[in-house]
Amino acid sequence: MAAPEVYSIADVPVTAYCFDSDRQNLAVSLSSNEAQILTRSGNDWKVTDTLSEHDKLITSIDWAPKSNLIVTASQDRNAYVWQQNQDPETGKVIWKPTLVAVRINRAATAVRWSPKEDKFAVASGARTVAICNFDEENNWWVSKHLKKPIRSTVLSIDWHPNNVLLAAGSADMKARVFSAYIKDVDKRPAATVWGEKLPFNTLCGEYNSPSGGWVHSVGFSPSGNVLAFASHDSSISIVYPEGPTVITVRSFSLPYVTLTWTAEDVLVAAGHDCQPVLFQGSEAGWKAVGSLDESSTGKSAIPNPSRTGAVGRLNSSAFNTFRDADTRGTRSVSSLNSPGGSNDTELMTIHQNTITSIRPYEYASNGEVSKVSTGGVDGKLVIWSTANVGALGSRLGGMKLR
Amino acid sequence: MADRAFRKIDVDIYDEDVLLDSELYDPDPRSADQILSDAKQKQATVRTHLSRGDTLTALSTVLDNAPYGMNVEEAKASPRTFEMWDSDLFIDIPGIVKSLDPELQDTLMKFIYKGMAMPGSNDISASVLLTWHEKLTEVAGTGCIVRVMTDRKTV
Repeated sequence: MAAPEVYSIADVPVTAYCFDSDRQNLAVSLSSNEAQILTRSGNDWKVTDTLSEHDKLITSIDWAPKSNLIVTASQDRNAYVWQQNQDPETGKVIWKPTLVAVRINRAATAVRWSPKEDKFAVASGARTVAICNFDEENNWWVSKHLKKPIRSTVLSIDWHPNNVLLAAGSADMKARVFSAYIKDVDKRPAATVWGEKLPFNTLCGEYNSPSGGWVHSVGFSPSGNVLAFASHDSSISIVYPEGPTVITVRSFSLPYVTLTWTAEDVLVAAGHDCQPVLFQGSEAGWKAVGSLDESSTGKSAIPNPSRTGAVGRLNSSAFNTFRDADTRGTRSVSSLNSPGGSNDTELMTIHQNTITSIRPYEYASNGEVSKVSTGGVDGKLVIWSTANVGALGSRLGGMKLR
Repeated sequence: MADRAFRKIDVDIYDEDVLLDSELYDPDPRSADQILSDAKQKQATVRTHLSRGDTLTALSTVLDNAPYGMNVEEAKASPRTFEMWDSDLFIDIPGIVKSLDPELQDTLMKFIYKGMAMPGSNDISASVLLTWHEKLTEVAGTGCIVRVMTDRKTV
């Protein structure tokens, strides 16, 4: 059982990150207006380049595996496409930015390359998703906006494998599936379960979050026939568009903010709970199978409260301090602040704060995702094997983990 | 002093794109009258179940399809939910809470928070509410509380 690879890459939150195709390089935004390129050196990551062009926090990064282009989106309402070029004078390899005409008047929140890498989508606070493609004639990236019927900030996007459909999760409590068909770029797509005729901005599906939470994350299954979304009402919804059948899994714990599919019947979600949880199911029903963070419990003597069914990840030391203050009149809070007591505030999970982003890391020979990576507010980057929980599945069978 | 009346102008009504509260959730498909008559009918059913000592069914009946949203205040108040909680019939709170459907657990949590938001009301005792809250949180987790906080379909 391979233990998760843990890298503490920063003391500040990892706002966004993306690996390149061979996973030797990594682009990260560490809560700043500059993106850094880190290169693997042994068991560590070294800064090898800095992408500075944005004025404000970079909210999202995507690194196209085939074309090796990086796209960054920022709160300064701009997006840049970065291309690796050789400087003609010095001969050094540098990342050259190209401004994208996104035309949004609010912050960009998320950016993703389409599967064919000829388009990308920029989600924004301007109630729009900008679909950008390269205009050969004018030699720059132009955009077209998906507007209707989005009523609030778009928080997350995901491309359908057919390069045309796009899922968008928004703060108006809805997940939607749009057609992002661009005439000059796309061939007429084959009919899918989401629809047949798909001109630009066709709304192929609109799904409410079950208890009215912002939709933090959306994801198409590998085949593109199923959509999953995580919302702030501590639930995951899985949508089968024929029907439509919407399956809701209510979480026992805090909301998930990010999810990714690893196989046609498996997805991994993570969020405020600080641990990636694997869900499995089919049209008949879905359930949480277990946490990928399970391997760490063996090492720690203290059982994780969130796993043993106690309420949340209630920190017993903080709880005890206040209880003592209440019942015994003890006023000391030193056990929380003293260096000796620092262990007490440590969470039993590997990530010590919210996981903000989970992405596929490595694929197995059968096309399923064998490893996923997570980045969190604690500045950690962790690579998990999805097989770990599979093996644990039977052991977890009798456990209450909802 | 300059005229300050302009500060009270509701500028949002001039904004075509304004997002109204009512757009954030799907309204009850039933009409307001229908909801009210359903609620009254429910009250009778609940009473029957309670008199037979079938607390679980009584509670499920109250929680199932509970009136939510705006303009149904009368229907919301109709089954005297809180009155019955204090009843001696509810000895086995953990058992009852556990047998509830997860969706109804969420609705029950909504009622608990509604009760907490009405202090001083005669039919609710805070200690009873806290007991229910504790037992329900043990079964349905913090996720249940989060769902109550996000949900705009208030009971």
